[in-house]
Amino acid sequence: MIVGKDLDPRVKLIIVMCLSTMGVFIHNILVLFGILLVSFIAAIIFGARILTITKKLKSFIYLFAAIAIMQSIFSPSGTAFLSIKGVRILTMGGLEKGLMMMERMSVVLVSASIMTTTTTRKVIQGLVQWKVPYEFAFMTSIAIRFLPIFMEEMRDSLIAIQLRGIDLKKIPFKKKIQIYSYIFTPIVAGTFIKSQKLSMAMETRAFRAYPERTSYLVLNMQQLDYILIALSILLTIAVMIVSL
Amino acid sequence: MEETNNIPYIELLGAAFRYPKGDFVIENASLTLFQNEFTAITGPNGSGKTTLGKLIMGIIKPDRGCVKILDRDTREMTLGEIGKKVGYLFQNPERQLFSMSIREEISFPMEIKGIPKEEIKKKVNEMLEAFSLTHLEGIPTFKLSRGEKQRLAIASILVNNPGFFVMDEPTTGLDAERKKDLSELIRNLQDKGIGMAVISHDMHFIKQLADRTITLSGGKIIDDSR
Repeated sequence: MIVGKDLDPRVKLIIVMCLSTMGVFIHNILVLFGILLVSFIAAIIFGARILTITKKLKSFIYLFAAIAIMQSIFSPSGTAFLSIKGVRILTMGGLEKGLMMMERMSVVLVSASIMTTTTTRKVIQGLVQWKVPYEFAFMTSIAIRFLPIFMEEMRDSLIAIQLRGIDLKKIPFKKKIQIYSYIFTPIVAGTFIKSQKLSMAMETRAFRAYPERTSYLVLNMQQLDYILIALSILLTIAVMIVSL
Repeated sequence: MEETNNIPYIELLGAAFRYPKGDFVIENASLTLFQNEFTAITGPNGSGKTTLGKLIMGIIKPDRGCVKILDRDTREMTLGEIGKKVGYLFQNPERQLFSMSIREEISFPMEIKGIPKEEIKKKVNEMLEAFSLTHLEGIPTFKLSRGEKQRLAIASILVNNPGFFVMDEPTTGLDAERKKDLSELIRNLQDKGIGMAVISHDMHFIKQLADRTITLSGGKIIDDSR
């Protein structure tokens, strides 16, 4: 029996693209909820770490509240739930827009988690077999590989800044922004240094020495893969036509 | 600087720590670090030296037991509060440099704290002089050599006047001459009354300076000798 994990990485890529496209373009709150539900189900079938993603989604609750309030104040619509001195702080329209934004981001994150169930090597191979230039596919995989390192570096920078005796909770918002700008300096500088070292290492191992690349890994699409790709695209088009 | 000298500055009381889903990397560690001592923390790779350093600094919190700095549990302290009392040199000094210029690197925490500009300028000049960084002022921080980055990181930490200084593998990547400079610097800091704990497996370097050597193996303290 084929489980989600065994499917061709290109099938997963198409499914993720379909879900994300619907998540971004559809403006109906209920349809978006349905897409989010499908994304969750797909992520579970493919064996993604759904618990970790759910934890990450919790942090978006504050963003949702902020968007809801900002939309209510600057573009008020619908019934007002909370007004202070005539200024509408929370309206039905604001709540809807906040919720929609949260659903959108959740769809993108949850669907993207499907790609974590396959190795970057297989994704590159899939793209190359689809005639995507190897350099482009390789750059994408490098970006994915470096992401956790950047996250770790950002964490370290934040710790190091605080260990210089700076209490982040006690300083004013303006200075807090200044501190966050400091975090990105070592990251950007480090990125340049790392990319220089990486390109040197690749060239010493004869990267692009020959115009044609061969590979031990060759992906073969099965009947089920084709069916799933066709179904995903057709369903996406249908949902988009009905909802837009 | 606080007048504490031979009262316990840092205490670990039965501290244990494990990373999520892993075994304990530090087990039941109990020790007291004094300001008037140079303590070396040594042990083979993977023995838990850096984790112990992070526990001391409150970067990670113990799962069991507690870590105290001047009798305050690190769980109740923010990293900012800890940083005012204990300085920490990362294994890789690159990770703790944020600014493009050397001067800004030393001055920015003082600017954030709202210290008057004249005072900041004076302090920065003192630090640049003390750590032989004046001639490097025009060079962006990320273009400095490892030794220079380390000196800059130490200068930026010491400008806060911490009473204690924890260094994680400070001799990595330094040649014999630079190690000698570092030893001299550490002796100067000791003379100024700053407590020192150096995490290192460079036995030659440790033997020259340490009043006390704590040896770790498999996350446990197996030896503590003066």
